[in-house]
This record gives sequence, C-alpha cells and structure tokens, in this order.
Amino acid sequence: MFDKILIANRGEIALRVLRACKELGIPSVAVHSTADEDAMHVRLADESVCIGPPAVRDSYLNIPALLAACEITGADAVHPGYGFLSENARFAEILQEHNIHFIGPKPAHIRLMGNKIEAKHTANRLGIPVVPGSDGPLGSEQEALSVARKIGFPVLVKAAAGGGGRGMKVAHGPEELATTLAIARAESKAAFGEDTLYVEKYLARPRHIEIQVLGDGRGAAIHLGERDCSLQRRYQKIWEEGPCPALNETARNLIGEAAAKAMQELEYLGVGTIEFLYEDGKFYFIEMNTRIQVEHPVTEMITDIDLVLEQIRVAAGGDLGLSQRDVKFHGHAIECRINAENPVSFRASPGKIVHYHPPGGLGVRVDSAVYHGYSIPPFYDSLVGKLIVHGKTRGECLMRLKRALDEFVIDGIETTLPLFRALVREKDVIDGDYHIHWLEDFLAGGGMNG
Amino acid sequence: MSDERKMKDPGERRTAIDHELIRELARLLEETGLTEIEFERDGQRVRVARAANMVAVSTHPLPAAAIETVVRPIDAGSVDPAKHPGVVTSPMVGTAYLAPEPGARPFVEVGSRVRVGETLLIIEAMKTMNQIPTPRAGTVIQVLIEDGQPVEFGEPLVIIE
Repeated sequence: MFDKILIANRGEIALRVLRACKELGIPSVAVHSTADEDAMHVRLADESVCIGPPAVRDSYLNIPALLAACEITGADAVHPGYGFLSENARFAEILQEHNIHFIGPKPAHIRLMGNKIEAKHTANRLGIPVVPGSDGPLGSEQEALSVARKIGFPVLVKAAAGGGGRGMKVAHGPEELATTLAIARAESKAAFGEDTLYVEKYLARPRHIEIQVLGDGRGAAIHLGERDCSLQRRYQKIWEEGPCPALNETARNLIGEAAAKAMQELEYLGVGTIEFLYEDGKFYFIEMNTRIQVEHPVTEMITDIDLVLEQIRVAAGGDLGLSQRDVKFHGHAIECRINAENPVSFRASPGKIVHYHPPGGLGVRVDSAVYHGYSIPPFYDSLVGKLIVHGKTRGECLMRLKRALDEFVIDGIETTLPLFRALVREKDVIDGDYHIHWLEDFLAGGGMNG
Repeated sequence: MSDERKMKDPGERRTAIDHELIRELARLLEETGLTEIEFERDGQRVRVARAANMVAVSTHPLPAAAIETVVRPIDAGSVDPAKHPGVVTSPMVGTAYLAPEPGARPFVEVGSRVRVGETLLIIEAMKTMNQIPTPRAGTVIQVLIEDGQPVEFGEPLVIIE
C-alpha cells in the first residue's frame, strides 16, 4: 500500500479522496493554489503544499510544481481526482518515470479512450454497440455531407479531442452542415489544441445511461451497475440516479456484462465509466471516461462499495476482492449537483457563504467542501456540493430528496437549489419519464418562472 | 523608532519625532555619565535610558508605567514576516539552498547589500537548480529559511529593505 498520497485536485473531490486516505490510514498531502489556502481538505490533510497562484495553469495543471511537491513531501502516489490532469496520459507517464504511482488507469488506456474516434473503434472491436456515424475523422466537407446523408440528419458534429460534454454541435440539415463544421473546428482548436472532428447520428430522445466498471489491471473486471444522467443542461449533468428508472434487470445485466467483458479483455486498471445513449431499447456507446466521476456516490449508495477506496487498492497492486456475484444493488439513489449559480439565468455567483446548514438524517449524504463562512473563489468551477439521497424504493428516495432539498440552507450566494426543488416536484421527473433534452425543454418552456 | 510608533495605541495622535532633541539627550547622557534622562515639553515627554538603550515618545502625559510598556526592543520577528513590504517569496515549490554548493559561502547573509537581479538563493526541484534573483535592490535584513528547507509557492524567503 502507498506510503503517502498527494491529492492533485481541489474542492469536493479532494475532500472525498482525503476521506478515503484517512480511512485507509495513508498519510495525505493536499496541494493547493493561493486561492484555496482555506479549503477544508487542506486543513484536514496531514501536510499541505502551496503550489502556485490561483490560475489553474500555474497551479492544479502545473506538472513541475506537482512533481516538486511530491519530491519535498515524499509522496509515492498521486490521486488526480476528476477534471484537471485526471485523464492526461502524459502526466501519468511522467509520474511513472519518477517512480510515483498514478492512481488511475494505465496511460495507454487513458490515451485510447481520450481520442473519441479511437474509443469508438475500440468499443466496436470489443463488441460494444456504437452510435452510427463517420467511422473516422472527417476529411473534406463533401465527405462530411455524404456521411451525414448516409446516417441521416440531424447529426452531431463532435471533436475527437473533446469529451465530458464539450465540443459538440448539432447540424439539423445539410444546409447547416458547412457552418457547423467550421465553428466546431475552430472551437475544438481553441479548447483542445486540435481540430479533428467526427460526426454521429443525433438521437431524438435518448436517455444517457452509463455503466460503472472496476478492473485490477490483470484481466479481472466487474461492473457496478448503471447511472441515468439524462437531466443535463448544455451537456452538463445536474441530476443523476441509479438504478435507471427505464431499465429492467435483463437489460441491465446484458449491457453490464458487455461492459465488464470489454474491460477484462483490455486488462483495464482502476475505475472507469462507459457512457451510452439509450433509445428504443438499444444502447449506443458514446465514450468512456477513464477516471472517477463526479456522480460516483450514486453507485456507492446502492452497492455499499467505496469506489475511491477500491481505486486506491487496485492502483497499489491489490486484487479486485470482489466478483460480479458480490455486487448487489439495494434501493435507489439520486444525486443533485448544486452549483453557485442563479437557478434561472445560471450566471455564476461566487462569494461568501454566510449561512450553511446541510441536511442530515437516514440516507442523506452531502459531498461538499464548503462550510459556514467559506468564500467560493471565482477561479474554478461553480460546484458547491453534491446532495446524494438513498431510499429503499425510488418513491421513498424522491420523498427524502424533497425533504433534504427543503432543509438545505446556503445563504450569501445564489445556488441552483431552487431548480432541484422544482424538479423534484415535476411529474415527468417523479415518473422517471425524461430524456437528455428534457431539462433544456423544461427551462426553455419557462419551468422555472412562477 | 518606526516600530515604537506602530506599537502605540492607534487612538493617540501621531507625533513627529524630534530627532535633534533625542540626539542631544543621548549626547548629554554620554557626557554626563547619567543612566537616564527624562525631558518634557509641550505635552511631549521623552526618556532616554542608557542600559536598555531605548527611547520612548508619548504625546499625552502618561503614567511612567504606560511609557515603559510602550517601549520594546525592536524585534523584527514579532512582526509577521509575510506581511513585511520587503519580503521576497518563493516563486516555486522545491528545496531551498542558501549557498551555491555545500560548504560554500551563502549567496547572501543578514547585512548583505544586493542589486536587482543578484542571486539570493537556489531552489532545487526535480534535480534542477533554479537561481532565485532579488526583485529589488537593498539590504538583506532577515533570512527566514534554513539551508535545505522545503519551500512552497509564496513562502517568505528573505526580507530586503
């Protein structure tokens, strides 16, 4: 097991990783920018190192500073969290070159799944159904047009270097395609440094269903069920739940086993999530995320398995310790991602939290790094925290969620709590009858007015 | 003297220090061999004492005890070094070395005069030695770190006035 883990992240996920380190009895190092000196995980960690000024480029993405921090603290492992360097294969390799463990997948797999075109090829090869689209990068406009015609409009133009909901644009008809391609190329170049595009069929009203997987890097891998993350705004998930209200046992086992088998063949190491669009009873692979995900607590609540702990264990060379038979699902869990944003305009609202009371009680979990008197810095994402609720049934879970949302107090900044209070009372959400466009339709239709 | 001014009750009116007066009193102290001279004029009371080598200034007539508690030897350590306007902080994470190599003379010591761009110390990270130049000219009045000490971004290293 590791001697000391350096947590190369911030906010709620850094606190989450810290908690796992404490429970494993592994000393922890919190690195932080000057803006995060008062962060909760920095206070609780065994050691802390300030690695730079607020800008992420000079701090959380500053590989030399992270390496130097490992050197002066003697950390022999780095947990990258999510975002930042968590899917940077080069970072993982650099750490390995310095004899520091990267708590995550093998760099080759990060690279494989990082290129979204390659990922689709791999999924296809491994027997996972994929969304119909261009089989490779798009060349000329003519080629793009003929591919789009073949799969049928509307089509989704995507950046090969994108992912996580970024770098995607819809072309509704052939007349829009040229412009959409040009804009997508420019945006991709700016955001990801390169402009390779591919195109996929745009599904009308699919659900976003993802499968959590875990592998030991030596051919043993299991799936831990699915999460339904269909409620999204601008491709960003805000509400996730498991099990998926639209899936039955058979469908779950089928797709879960396909995912697990693929990971066994890859000899995948660590946690990962395989994301699908699900429409008319059919699954379509869109991408794989080779890291711990924001919504991992949903799976933890229904399986009683600590995913971050498992991540650390297998990264240290441990066996899976779990067979597929050992994974049991009980009850239902829902997670709400609460952001420091106006619930109608979604304009960011950083600032000081003057009153903070998180809900409690049976089946209520709050994964958040904020505290009473904490000031949310303006330099990073606007996630205040995650409220995760568990119930024996989906109905009980919804009741508990409504109660917990009503009890939650965060004063001094604007938050999206009112949005969730509205959603938990919406018929379609209560019925579990939604798809990936549902939330935007709800907002555009004035769901938050009056 | 500037420290004594800082340590006064902020409610008191600041007073211009009469340098000439104090120099004169100190000279008198030397010449006469007295240990202490106290002088009052226009509500200003000055006491010059030989043994402790301290000077007290107050604008209002204060009981003697109050004057004494106001006076303290100048101790740079009692002021937070990070807040000193002359502090030079670390631009990186690493291990700080005060000399170019073990056993050599340190780059600077307390009292060293430095010009802009001169090396103050080395910070080593990942086997690379990085010379840390001084951002301003002046005199090193304090070295806040030890040779071989790990430092983080923003850590106070030296104070230059």
